[in-house]
Amino acid sequence: MTYTPEELMAAVIAREVRDGETVAVGTLSPLPAAGVLLAARRHAPRATVLIINHEDYWPFRNGSKEFYDFAQRGKIDLFFHSGGQIDQLGNLNLIAIGEHDHPVIRLPGGAGAPMLYYLAGRVILFRTEHTPRIFVERVDCVTSPGSSPPRVPRRGGPAKVVTPLAVLAFNPGSRRLELESVHPGLSFEEVQRSTGFPLVAPRGTPTTPPPTALDLAILRGPVRASLAKLYPIFALSAFLAA
Amino acid sequence: MGVPFLPVPGHVGSDYERLRPEFRLIADPYSGKDVLLVPAIAPDVSFLHALQADTEGNLLLDEKEDDCLLAQASRVVVASADEIVTPEALRRAPYGVRLSGIHVTALVHAPGGAHPTACRGRYGLDEAHIREYLRLAASDDSFRDYLQRYVFDLTDHGAYLGEAGLAALAP
Repeated sequence: MTYTPEELMAAVIAREVRDGETVAVGTLSPLPAAGVLLAARRHAPRATVLIINHEDYWPFRNGSKEFYDFAQRGKIDLFFHSGGQIDQLGNLNLIAIGEHDHPVIRLPGGAGAPMLYYLAGRVILFRTEHTPRIFVERVDCVTSPGSSPPRVPRRGGPAKVVTPLAVLAFNPGSRRLELESVHPGLSFEEVQRSTGFPLVAPRGTPTTPPPTALDLAILRGPVRASLAKLYPIFALSAFLAA
Repeated sequence: MGVPFLPVPGHVGSDYERLRPEFRLIADPYSGKDVLLVPAIAPDVSFLHALQADTEGNLLLDEKEDDCLLAQASRVVVASADEIVTPEALRRAPYGVRLSGIHVTALVHAPGGAHPTACRGRYGLDEAHIREYLRLAASDDSFRDYLQRYVFDLTDHGAYLGEAGLAALAP
């Protein structure tokens, strides 16, 4: 079956959504929005879906403060982040590439990330670029650490990383990202070459299950139509014809 | 709120502690856990653009923004509004959050005042203009060209609206 990298990533993200939980999608996150909308139409019809600024999925009427306060009270079970850099400890960098005071690239800043990474129950990281410049040994600035000492109140943290090449899982024991699966047609070596830190693969190299025919039909039909209200360019380019 | 600082959830263990020395780590006196404090931001002046304002100075602001917080943190608040309406019409508006005129120091009628960003119900994002801005803002020299065309060469706001393709909004 033919599918795009975005369709595969959305299907992988959808599997992480549990029925009945509260799932929130932040800014510039069309892929998580696609995955969550797929899950809500497939196995998680009772999930509460929040997609920032989507006319059908955003109940907050008093600015970002109302949403942040909601999250700070521990009401978000699943959230999504990306990063200019992501390292093997699950640290995210949204501040700057290079030295902070003389950066090569100034990134947009953390906004809610240094809070949501602690207060959401689980966070899935996503990047549409899986290269050694993104997946680095150690991030240049830590906007949000993957784990924290026991004196720091923390409800959640990283759960998975989803890229066009592979799925990584965060091991809370070792506090490191490990390889969970490689996408169909790829080898461990190919994913390792694209990753700037040594990949640990305690369960070997399973293949990520591809999207099913039902996944693709839902993504290319109702999910595309709903996403077009917020992400019109993504909705046109990410999916194959229904 | 008028408080000197607030504790913020999360953040501890990130580089914010290193990069922002004014953020202070303390033991929460109630739980004993580590918590980061951030000092209050008290702007001398804030500038807001409202969807509508009424003749009493009350504002209708976009629901997605935190302008009400910003206004209530600032000593002086200068608001511009795309439309000036009656207090009755402002109360009936179906979208937006209201900010009492008691927080507003000065109000300017500025139709098209959100351009090149959008003003809900009035005009959308001007993507071509934002692309031009990004291109010209890449260097000081080219940014002078931008300022010359859209600021210095224009006699008044009506002329800007003409340049922006929003002449129909001019009062």
